[in-house]
Amino acid sequence: MNNWEYSESIESEKIVNIEKKYGNFIDGKFVTPKSKQYIDTISPSTEKILSSISIGNQQDVDYAVASAKEGLKKWSKTNPSERAKYLFKLARLIQERSREFAVLESLDGGKPIKESRDFDLPQVAQNFFYYAGWADKLDISWGNEQYKPYGVVGQIIPWNFPLLMLSWKVAPALATGNTVVLKPAETTPLTALLFAELCEEVGLPDGVFNLVTGDGSTGSHLVNHKDIKKIAFTGSTGVGKYIQKSLAGRDVGLTLELGGKAANIVYSDAALDEAVEGVVNGIFFNQGHVCCAGSRLLVQEDIEEKFIKKLEKRMQTLNVGNPLDKNTDVGAINSKDQLDKIEKLVNEGVADGGDLFQIECELPKNGFWFKPSLFTSVQANYKIATEEIFGPVLTTLTFRTPEEAVEIANNTEYGLSAGIWTEKGSKILWTADRLEAGVIWANTFNKFDPASPFGGYKESGFGREGGRHGLLSYLKVSS
Amino acid sequence: MTDIKKTYKNYVHGKFVRSESGKVYSIDLKEEKYEIPLTSKKDLRDAVTSSKEGFKNWNQLTMYNRSQILYRLSEMIEGNKDSYISLLQDHGLSKLDSKNDINNAIDTIVWYAGLVDKWEQLTGNLNPVAGEYFNISHQEAIGVTFTLSPNSMSLDELVKSILPALTVGCSVINFSDENAVIALKLSEDVNNSDFPSGSLNLLSGKFENIIEDVGGHVEIKHAAIYEDISKKSKEVLGQKGSESVKRISLIPSTSGLSSIIPFIETKTVWHPKGK
Repeated sequence: MNNWEYSESIESEKIVNIEKKYGNFIDGKFVTPKSKQYIDTISPSTEKILSSISIGNQQDVDYAVASAKEGLKKWSKTNPSERAKYLFKLARLIQERSREFAVLESLDGGKPIKESRDFDLPQVAQNFFYYAGWADKLDISWGNEQYKPYGVVGQIIPWNFPLLMLSWKVAPALATGNTVVLKPAETTPLTALLFAELCEEVGLPDGVFNLVTGDGSTGSHLVNHKDIKKIAFTGSTGVGKYIQKSLAGRDVGLTLELGGKAANIVYSDAALDEAVEGVVNGIFFNQGHVCCAGSRLLVQEDIEEKFIKKLEKRMQTLNVGNPLDKNTDVGAINSKDQLDKIEKLVNEGVADGGDLFQIECELPKNGFWFKPSLFTSVQANYKIATEEIFGPVLTTLTFRTPEEAVEIANNTEYGLSAGIWTEKGSKILWTADRLEAGVIWANTFNKFDPASPFGGYKESGFGREGGRHGLLSYLKVSS
Repeated sequence: MTDIKKTYKNYVHGKFVRSESGKVYSIDLKEEKYEIPLTSKKDLRDAVTSSKEGFKNWNQLTMYNRSQILYRLSEMIEGNKDSYISLLQDHGLSKLDSKNDINNAIDTIVWYAGLVDKWEQLTGNLNPVAGEYFNISHQEAIGVTFTLSPNSMSLDELVKSILPALTVGCSVINFSDENAVIALKLSEDVNNSDFPSGSLNLLSGKFENIIEDVGGHVEIKHAAIYEDISKKSKEVLGQKGSESVKRISLIPSTSGLSSIIPFIETKTVWHPKGK
């Protein structure tokens, strides 16, 4: 095999203008945090400090919630078609400045520019565009029943798709007439802060969108705030359970989008080369920092050897390295903490008896990196087969019959997504009917669209984001 | 001639059973006094086992078949209308109010019977994604559902706390307290309507005795509470429920399409289009 190297093609960092320090965005303006506490946000690919952000405390959250309450008075009197226009304008501004957003996202989060530029940002803009159009059609969205917004909504989002998760949360919440207090993840706050600038630019009424940066303690203040009417959370199942427990007994709406351990089922009658592409995309997209990642490869026994060989060959062509290089397929692990978790689970997998294949590649000296990895000879009870690794690590299990495939696929407390690879239509439908998962990709994987509802069964959470169904997460039946 | 009095029992897996504990509580009506089962934690667990099988049995049937079973329930109640009216009168309702309530209950059941094979056309849809994909969202029943009926002396309100979940394919464990005689009487007509075993179980007792188990039992996928329970009870249910990310609905809607939405999961399936 020819070993032709790609020449570097680095996207310039100069396009982004990062402040040394950021406050919160409350009541339509950036304000100095009352907590006076800051932490650095770094680039996980270089460990270089990018900026420092505030850790919001109780007072900061109080201020933001009070502002959202005031904002609600204006927002609820704003004509729905006017609400739509604000969101359309935001979509347009995001499109115009998408290159800047993409570079910032890759710098702060470590994901390849190819993904932030070609996936995250187009989806973010489309998501605002999509929900803008619903704002003045709520009365016909779900029959003639009377739905109304919750009011002040608290939203807590993760670090894997920082701006995309913001758009999944903020666009439908505002379209349905709620006002928002958003807390981004502490490792990836920068694109949310830039988004706040856009809200100022489009003249969104003060208090409609509020942003408080911080860590888990800030999130906890938000969840426990007495004036919050609904919490929307995306993150780990552990934290999701904690939030559900905290809200027990209170009249607060809740939607949770939690972890996953998706089965990607490859039947022996699948188009194998396409399946290999899908399996690779399913687990190595965004370094595997994807709640719906196809992290369990279920391959039919008679094609295992052939399939694994093809898969390893394809994996070896993945470019790992500088997220700002346009040729990069797999970027940096988002944080030291996450890298430690991945390493720990992979070491346990080896100790348990799994066979580990890792691609040969040189990793940058600084930053957090993990080689794309594949486990074979795995037993169903190994931790690597049951726990969410949230990294570029694929675990292989085998099956003989479709019934067995379904049984293994469903044998998890999670139920977010699943994949099916076969050329037989009836088998796709048979399998899809039996899989306990909110999103099922057949002969494809990791496809997303603002019009397509996303969300889990079982302990992967409840509620849907995206599509007409996503509206229900921000509306309640008026009594 | 001496009148004989009926002993009301729990209805589990198509059988009329006493509480395994042997415990009862009294419901003292105008004319009659009934000693009915005080459901224990073990009874609840047994009902869940039954309901798990019931979920499979109920879902094996076509929507058309399920629709006819619900319709048959309304036929059964129609045939026994007088006995329901006199039972409600014994609960303190006037004859007219009793009659109206039974008629309303029949109308409610007929409405849901007709919805069984239609709701998915109202809640599911193709999604117009930006690409060459077939993308459809359809719905499935969440699974074993526990419902606490409201304490009102009303057959109509009772069936409204059972039918939304049953309509979409959940198996239901219905729990009644002060209105339990009405629920246990209903079980006789349920028994005559061809419901598969375990698809609908009816229990009586005190909710506080089993609340922790309703919250903590991982096989109960959804708890729908149609009675206004105390803040403390909500806390216990919510805290125990959070351990398995249980779906919990407090005072869900009892009319229209919104009444069934808490009981469904949306499944979205993608497939590429091509040649």
